[in-house]
Amino acid sequence: MSVAVRIPTVFRKLTSGEARVQVAPGTIGDLIGQLESRYPGFKQQVMGDDGSLHRFINVYVNDEDIRYIGKLETETAEGDTVSLLPSVAGGANDGAIAEQGDAL
Amino acid sequence: MSRALADEMIEHCRAGRPNEACGMLGAKGGDIVRVFKMANALSSPVRYSLEPSEQLAVYNALDDQGWDLGGVFHSHTHTEAYPSPTDIRLASEDVPYLIVSLATEPAAIRAWRIVKSDWAAETGDIEEVPVTILGS
Repeated sequence: MSVAVRIPTVFRKLTSGEARVQVAPGTIGDLIGQLESRYPGFKQQVMGDDGSLHRFINVYVNDEDIRYIGKLETETAEGDTVSLLPSVAGGANDGAIAEQGDAL
Repeated sequence: MSRALADEMIEHCRAGRPNEACGMLGAKGGDIVRVFKMANALSSPVRYSLEPSEQLAVYNALDDQGWDLGGVFHSHTHTEAYPSPTDIRLASEDVPYLIVSLATEPAAIRAWRIVKSDWAAETGDIEEVPVTILGS
């Protein structure tokens, strides 16, 4: 048994298209390290230069958002699923409505 | 995608007015098979954002069904179905982004692939993806 990491579409170029990869249990920081070893450049995609998670990435261990538990120190166990979720957002706010001063 | 699924997506966008509405699409073998109608966490007429917990629930559903993420959609309530600079700046998933414009009647649906040098890049190129609505 191991920990499954769900890879979002945007990072699958790094994983040769794999949508789910298996890693050894550890903290989220450890898991990202394992992914970096296997897929060089991975860490840079999910973490900032200051070593914290990219602000547009949400990480869940099963159904728990790691921001509310241990952040990068959150422990995982065999059988867990870790989901990396890129923030999905946008909108038309460069249009006329925004120019009129509507709240964003 | 089928006319019925396209209508389901448009109706979700209409129901969300005056705010933008959003959601995701499930795909099987390249065909759109499910519209996931989701909440706009920003409740804004000019911006949208998916709630991460709801996004996770959609990914769980996709996995359970053996489907792929087929696209992300949102509405533009008063502008055309063309990616805004905000849409490009905040694009993340490597799937087509569908925009439903409610500025015209009937609503217009266009899809775009947003290509950036890095997923967090502020700018990028757009390529239109043909949308075929079956049975219309």
